[in-house]
Amino acid sequence: MKRPVAVVGVGQTHHTSRRSDVSIPGLVREAVDRALLDAGLEHKDIDAVVVGKAPDMLEGIAQPEQFLAGALGAHMKPLLRVHTAGSVGASTALTAVTHVASGLYERVLTVAFEKQSEGNAMWALSPNMPFTPPLVAGAGGFFAPYCRAYITKTKCPPHIGPVTAVNARANGARNQYAHLQEPLTVEDVMNSPMLWDPIRFGETCPSSDGAVAMVIASEDKAKHGPRKPAWVKSGYSYAEAMWVPGRDQVSPAAGRICAKAVYDKAGITDPWNQIDTAEIYVPFAWFEAMWLENLGFCDVGEGWKIIDRGEQAFGAHLPINPSGGVLCTNPIGASGMLRLGEAALQVMGRAGAHQVEGAKTALGHAYGGGAQYFAMWIVSSER
Amino acid sequence: MTSAARLRNVAIVGFAQLPIVARDEHRMATEMLYPAVRQALADCGVERNAIDYQIAGSTDYMDGRPFGFVAALDVMGSWPARQDLHLEMDAAFCAYYAWVRMQAGECDTALVAAHGKLSEGEPNRVLNLQLDPYYHAAIGLDPASTAALQASAYMARTGATDRDFAEVAARNRAAGARNADAQVRTAATADELQRSPWLVEPLRSAYVPPVGETATCLILAAEGKAEQLCDRPVWIQGVDHRTEMQTLGARDLSRSASTQLAAQRAFTMAGLAGADGIDVAELSAATPAEELILCEALGLDAQAARPVINPSGGPLCGHPIMMTGGIRLGEAFRQLAGRASGHTVAGAKRAVAHGTQGHCLQQNIVWVVGSERRWA
Repeated sequence: MKRPVAVVGVGQTHHTSRRSDVSIPGLVREAVDRALLDAGLEHKDIDAVVVGKAPDMLEGIAQPEQFLAGALGAHMKPLLRVHTAGSVGASTALTAVTHVASGLYERVLTVAFEKQSEGNAMWALSPNMPFTPPLVAGAGGFFAPYCRAYITKTKCPPHIGPVTAVNARANGARNQYAHLQEPLTVEDVMNSPMLWDPIRFGETCPSSDGAVAMVIASEDKAKHGPRKPAWVKSGYSYAEAMWVPGRDQVSPAAGRICAKAVYDKAGITDPWNQIDTAEIYVPFAWFEAMWLENLGFCDVGEGWKIIDRGEQAFGAHLPINPSGGVLCTNPIGASGMLRLGEAALQVMGRAGAHQVEGAKTALGHAYGGGAQYFAMWIVSSER
Repeated sequence: MTSAARLRNVAIVGFAQLPIVARDEHRMATEMLYPAVRQALADCGVERNAIDYQIAGSTDYMDGRPFGFVAALDVMGSWPARQDLHLEMDAAFCAYYAWVRMQAGECDTALVAAHGKLSEGEPNRVLNLQLDPYYHAAIGLDPASTAALQASAYMARTGATDRDFAEVAARNRAAGARNADAQVRTAATADELQRSPWLVEPLRSAYVPPVGETATCLILAAEGKAEQLCDRPVWIQGVDHRTEMQTLGARDLSRSASTQLAAQRAFTMAGLAGADGIDVAELSAATPAEELILCEALGLDAQAARPVINPSGGPLCGHPIMMTGGIRLGEAFRQLAGRASGHTVAGAKRAVAHGTQGHCLQQNIVWVVGSERRWA
């Protein structure tokens, strides 16, 4: 980055399965208003808007940023629309970071949303493509074999998925914005229906309505804001092709390359000890163990052991998803930006009841496509 | 940023497109994109590994499936993993973000790919779904009907006539006949075009483009790399983009305020007071009324010898949605790099390229490019 960049405001909606109290513009505006209020700014202070969301079929509006331009406060401003599958919320925020880093813009508003109750995600995510057998099983059906491959490869025991889900819910109970805040027991998860073997109902993310927004600013503007900013130490988006013989789908090279890039840029050589908390994209419980390995927090085959020892729980060595993560809240297009925003709130010291004590360095992470798209940032309390 | 800021010199160094056709029956969208990517790289004399960054433009609704761009990863050469982004936007806006990344020092070279197989769906129905779902989409507005509202507003304000529209269309048709990549390659007189039936009055069927599809690839490079990839790099001298709110009733449809602001800012960045000295303008005008509105917003004199407007034939002779703006930038490159063959504008040194998205020119990008570097 050409110059330092910071997060100066974060706002999110209350998330639930059906926000019937607001329209799509109303939902987006709720997050935008909260982010601007948080940053002590008004729309006139914003130079450009970068918005992201997952497939437009989820709501049934084609390129909805055109319709939402007014609600986003983008009238007569530059507006970009990002879409990188599940990673989109994260890659959208990183696009805003680049805008400020370039020196061309001082303050950029970045927004991500999904109002899944407007449509049917299972239908929208079950495409029928030429020469490819349709799974008609949504994202869960697509990713179940990835989880099974991980279990087979690492001898991950069967209680790891349920334990991960229980921890996520315990965390979500401390987050006032989370969609699912009711605690679960391992027994509850074990007894929940098997949806896509090995993924049970209790190990699956919900379908949520929700939005999140952040204001990204230059150092000069950040210093004059009302709050202590979160400094963006590094951020990258990487993607890799699907149809490559031998591609490791359990621990994709794109994820490893992206993690190395953000660590190198942020001066992190030992992520397990130098990162205080991480918000990572876990839509199905088994992915938490998989990403711990892919992100370099441990060696291959050791990810599930971290969970087994409880070292990723709230208050333990490396709290993972203290917000409850995607397993508690999943407005698809916003989920990635929620990870980055929650990481920022942690290093700002403003995560409320789910604040990780003394968090100075945090990782925000999202993935998408067939585990092909990765977008991550490292944020810090120190410039 | 102040207008005096010295930015990094970045150039367009490669452009490839397939000829625009009504329907390529033999290839999927990605099979069409692959040769465009390979051609653009070959023209620069490099392999994929030589390019730092990639960005794709497409829209799921036109692809008729979620994540249509994921399939494009494979044909863009995304192995090993690449620094990557996909915008649900026309290629002209994707190129903008590649340029921003170069300004941030994040990359030196970028590949900008775009695809869209419009013949597989019903573009008019898809573009209806782009409108406000509560008040606009529900009454069945499509691009022709919203464009007709805009044309009416322009006629009411300026006194423009059906004959004026016919003459704009005829000039584009004559130009398209000289462009080997155009979809409509038959010239027609204004008299002939004025006899075509009303599509939505005041627009006749000859005043809107047919459905067409192609695939495109632009390559951008920063100073230092650009000269190695191209014998005549075309330098970006100024660029800006702006959107407006969608609500048709909230805008003066007879004007394009966002184009005017973007143009003013792009010209200032280029060190120009206005459009004087522009030799070529490639505009994403899907109707003659849009072309007249854009010329006014850009300060171009449509009657003057220079600039030559849409020497490629413009969108009236080929309008592959998601690529129309990118092709305008590609055409500006062709004119200034001496690669426009049959539709060359002799001695062209500086060009404007314009891209748009949304109904009635809602969102607009203006590029000023030239054969000379902007910043010393």
